[in-house]
Amino acid sequence: MIGTGEPLDFGSYRGKVIYLDFWATWCPPCRKSMPFMMSMRKELGDEGLEVVAISVDEEKEAVNRFLARYPVNFAIAHDPDGDCPQKFEVMAMPSSYLIDRQGRIRYVHLGFRDGDKNEMREKVLDLLEEKP
Amino acid sequence: MKSVIRILPGQVLAMMVLMFLAGCSVSPWERGNLAREEMLPNPDPALSTMRAHVFESKEAASGGQGGVGGGCGCN
Repeated sequence: MIGTGEPLDFGSYRGKVIYLDFWATWCPPCRKSMPFMMSMRKELGDEGLEVVAISVDEEKEAVNRFLARYPVNFAIAHDPDGDCPQKFEVMAMPSSYLIDRQGRIRYVHLGFRDGDKNEMREKVLDLLEEKP
Repeated sequence: MKSVIRILPGQVLAMMVLMFLAGCSVSPWERGNLAREEMLPNPDPALSTMRAHVFESKEAASGGQGGVGGGCGCN
Protein backbone atom coordinates (compact mmCIF):
# COMPACT_ATOMS: atom_id res chain seq x y z
CA MET A 1 0.00 0.00 0.00
CA ILE A 2 1.24 3.44 -0.85
CA GLY A 3 1.60 5.40 2.35
CA THR A 4 1.72 2.59 4.90
CA GLY A 5 3.93 0.11 3.05
CA GLU A 6 1.77 -2.75 4.35
CA PRO A 7 0.71 -5.48 1.93
CA LEU A 8 -2.83 -5.18 0.61
CA ASP A 9 -5.18 -7.30 2.71
CA PHE A 10 -8.58 -7.92 1.12
CA GLY A 11 -9.72 -9.60 4.33
CA SER A 12 -9.81 -6.26 6.09
CA TYR A 13 -12.55 -5.15 3.69
CA ARG A 14 -14.83 -8.10 4.42
CA GLY A 15 -18.47 -7.08 4.57
CA LYS A 16 -17.87 -4.17 2.26
CA VAL A 17 -18.35 -3.70 -1.44
CA ILE A 18 -14.97 -3.21 -3.10
CA TYR A 19 -14.36 -1.25 -6.24
CA LEU A 20 -11.00 -2.67 -7.28
CA ASP A 21 -9.25 -0.83 -10.05
CA PHE A 22 -6.06 -1.64 -11.94
CA TRP A 23 -4.42 1.53 -13.21
CA ALA A 24 -1.14 3.11 -14.22
CA THR A 25 0.11 6.65 -14.51
CA TRP A 26 0.94 6.09 -18.20
CA CYS A 27 -2.64 5.11 -19.04
CA PRO A 28 -4.82 8.13 -19.91
CA PRO A 29 -8.24 6.49 -19.39
CA CYS A 30 -7.03 5.30 -15.97
CA ARG A 31 -6.17 8.84 -15.01
CA LYS A 32 -9.53 9.92 -16.31
CA SER A 33 -11.32 7.47 -14.04
CA MET A 34 -9.71 8.86 -10.88
CA PRO A 35 -12.18 11.71 -10.27
CA PHE A 36 -15.05 9.26 -10.80
CA MET A 37 -13.66 6.84 -8.22
CA MET A 38 -13.12 9.72 -5.82
CA SER A 39 -16.71 10.85 -6.16
CA MET A 40 -17.96 7.28 -5.69
CA ARG A 41 -15.91 6.92 -2.52
CA LYS A 42 -17.08 10.26 -1.24
CA GLU A 43 -20.73 9.57 -1.99
CA LEU A 44 -21.00 5.91 -1.06
CA GLY A 45 -18.15 5.32 1.38
CA ASP A 46 -20.50 5.59 4.34
CA GLU A 47 -22.77 2.97 2.85
CA GLY A 48 -19.99 0.41 2.70
CA LEU A 49 -18.07 1.06 -0.51
CA GLU A 50 -14.30 0.81 -0.49
CA VAL A 51 -12.24 1.85 -3.47
CA VAL A 52 -8.86 0.16 -3.89
CA ALA A 53 -6.69 1.08 -6.85
CA ILE A 54 -3.68 -1.05 -7.67
CA SER A 55 -1.06 0.73 -9.71
CA VAL A 56 0.90 -1.47 -12.09
CA ASP A 57 3.53 1.16 -12.81
CA GLU A 58 7.04 -0.22 -12.86
CA GLU A 59 8.42 2.83 -11.10
CA LYS A 60 7.14 3.70 -7.68
CA GLU A 61 8.42 7.24 -8.13
CA ALA A 62 5.95 7.80 -10.98
CA VAL A 63 3.05 6.80 -8.71
CA ASN A 64 4.25 9.03 -5.89
CA ARG A 65 4.66 11.96 -8.27
CA PHE A 66 1.17 11.42 -9.63
CA LEU A 67 -0.40 11.18 -6.17
CA ALA A 68 1.45 14.26 -4.95
CA ARG A 69 -0.06 16.18 -7.82
CA TYR A 70 -3.50 14.57 -7.73
CA PRO A 71 -4.25 13.39 -4.20
CA VAL A 72 -7.02 10.79 -3.92
CA ASN A 73 -9.36 9.79 -1.12
CA PHE A 74 -9.04 6.03 -1.51
CA ALA A 75 -6.47 3.32 -0.95
CA ILE A 76 -3.69 2.93 -3.50
CA ALA A 77 -1.53 -0.17 -3.74
CA HIS A 78 1.49 -0.63 -5.95
CA ASP A 79 2.39 -3.85 -7.74
CA PRO A 80 5.40 -3.29 -10.01
CA ASP A 81 5.88 -7.02 -10.68
CA GLY A 82 2.43 -7.65 -12.11
CA ASP A 83 1.48 -10.46 -9.70
CA CYS A 84 -1.93 -9.01 -8.91
CA PRO A 85 -3.02 -8.26 -12.49
CA GLN A 86 -1.89 -11.76 -13.42
CA LYS A 87 -4.04 -13.33 -10.71
CA PHE A 88 -7.03 -11.20 -11.67
CA GLU A 89 -6.37 -11.90 -15.37
CA VAL A 90 -6.49 -8.23 -16.26
CA MET A 91 -7.39 -7.92 -19.93
CA ALA A 92 -7.31 -4.15 -20.38
CA MET A 93 -6.18 -0.96 -18.76
CA PRO A 94 -7.92 0.15 -16.70
CA SER A 95 -9.83 -2.88 -15.43
CA SER A 96 -12.34 -2.48 -12.66
CA TYR A 97 -13.70 -5.31 -10.52
CA LEU A 98 -16.75 -4.99 -8.33
CA ILE A 99 -16.52 -7.34 -5.37
CA ASP A 100 -19.62 -7.93 -3.24
CA ARG A 101 -19.88 -8.07 0.52
CA GLN A 102 -19.20 -11.81 0.49
CA GLY A 103 -15.93 -11.26 -1.36
CA ARG A 104 -17.07 -12.57 -4.74
CA ILE A 105 -16.15 -10.80 -7.96
CA ARG A 106 -19.51 -9.87 -9.43
CA TYR A 107 -18.66 -7.56 -12.27
CA VAL A 108 -15.61 -6.84 -14.41
CA HIS A 109 -15.42 -3.67 -16.41
CA LEU A 110 -12.74 -3.12 -19.06
CA GLY A 111 -11.57 0.36 -19.97
CA PHE A 112 -13.13 3.61 -18.89
CA ARG A 113 -15.20 6.08 -20.87
CA ASP A 114 -17.39 8.91 -19.68
CA GLY A 115 -20.46 6.97 -20.74
CA ASP A 116 -19.56 4.10 -18.41
CA LYS A 117 -20.05 6.12 -15.23
CA ASN A 118 -23.80 5.58 -14.89
CA GLU A 119 -23.57 1.87 -15.52
CA MET A 120 -20.80 1.48 -12.95
CA ARG A 121 -22.71 3.52 -10.43
CA GLU A 122 -25.84 1.41 -10.91
CA LYS A 123 -23.87 -1.81 -10.41
CA VAL A 124 -22.25 -0.48 -7.25
CA LEU A 125 -25.64 0.61 -5.88
CA ASP A 126 -27.06 -2.85 -6.61
CA LEU A 127 -24.24 -4.52 -4.69
CA LEU A 128 -24.54 -2.08 -1.80
CA GLU A 129 -28.21 -2.92 -1.45
CA GLU A 130 -27.44 -6.57 -0.83
CA LYS A 131 -27.13 -7.04 2.89
CA PRO A 132 -24.36 -9.27 4.17
CA MET B 1 13.50 -20.48 -48.17
CA LYS B 2 12.83 -24.18 -48.05
CA SER B 3 16.54 -25.02 -48.18
CA VAL B 4 17.26 -22.59 -45.35
CA ILE B 5 14.72 -24.34 -43.17
CA ARG B 6 16.18 -27.71 -44.08
CA ILE B 7 19.68 -26.86 -42.93
CA LEU B 8 18.49 -25.54 -39.57
CA PRO B 9 18.40 -28.21 -36.90
CA GLY B 10 14.87 -28.75 -35.62
CA GLN B 11 15.68 -27.71 -32.09
CA VAL B 12 17.19 -24.39 -33.16
CA LEU B 13 14.11 -23.71 -35.24
CA ALA B 14 11.84 -24.58 -32.32
CA MET B 15 13.85 -22.25 -30.09
CA MET B 16 13.56 -19.44 -32.60
CA VAL B 17 9.82 -19.94 -32.91
CA LEU B 18 9.44 -19.93 -29.11
CA MET B 19 11.56 -16.80 -28.79
CA PHE B 20 9.51 -15.12 -31.47
CA LEU B 21 6.26 -16.06 -29.75
CA ALA B 22 7.55 -14.86 -26.39
CA GLY B 23 7.98 -11.42 -27.89
CA CYS B 24 4.45 -11.43 -29.25
CA SER B 25 2.59 -11.10 -25.98
CA VAL B 26 2.80 -7.97 -23.89
CA SER B 27 0.35 -7.99 -21.04
CA PRO B 28 -1.87 -4.93 -20.68
CA TRP B 29 -0.14 -3.96 -17.44
CA GLU B 30 3.33 -4.18 -19.01
CA ARG B 31 2.81 -1.48 -21.60
CA GLY B 32 4.31 1.36 -19.61
CA ASN B 33 7.32 1.70 -21.86
CA LEU B 34 5.25 1.32 -25.01
CA ALA B 35 3.04 4.16 -23.81
CA ARG B 36 5.94 6.60 -23.62
CA GLU B 37 5.87 9.57 -25.89
CA GLU B 38 9.18 8.69 -27.54
CA MET B 39 7.68 5.38 -28.65
CA LEU B 40 5.26 7.13 -31.01
CA PRO B 41 5.91 6.57 -34.73
CA ASN B 42 6.38 10.33 -35.01
CA PRO B 43 7.30 11.56 -31.53
CA ASP B 44 8.02 15.16 -32.53
CA PRO B 45 5.87 16.25 -35.50
CA ALA B 46 7.28 19.79 -35.54
CA LEU B 47 10.87 18.57 -35.70
CA SER B 48 10.19 16.00 -38.41
CA THR B 49 8.28 18.58 -40.47
CA MET B 50 11.21 20.97 -40.23
CA ARG B 51 13.70 18.27 -41.16
CA ALA B 52 11.61 17.24 -44.14
CA HIS B 53 11.46 20.88 -45.22
CA VAL B 54 15.23 21.30 -44.99
CA PHE B 55 15.77 18.01 -46.79
CA GLU B 56 13.49 19.01 -49.64
CA SER B 57 15.23 22.38 -50.00
CA LYS B 58 18.72 20.90 -50.02
CA GLU B 59 17.85 18.12 -52.40
CA ALA B 60 15.85 20.47 -54.61
CA ALA B 61 13.15 17.89 -54.71
CA SER B 62 10.00 17.25 -52.85
CA GLY B 63 7.78 14.28 -52.39
CA GLY B 64 8.56 10.82 -51.27
CA GLN B 65 7.94 11.88 -47.71
CA GLY B 66 4.30 12.63 -47.90
CA GLY B 67 4.99 16.34 -47.45
CA VAL B 68 4.27 19.30 -49.73
CA GLY B 69 6.42 22.16 -50.97
CA GLY B 70 8.88 22.98 -53.73
CA GLY B 71 12.65 23.06 -53.81
CA CYS B 72 12.97 26.80 -53.33
CA GLY B 73 12.94 26.64 -49.55
CA CYS B 74 10.29 29.33 -49.53
CA ASN B 75 7.28 27.40 -48.34
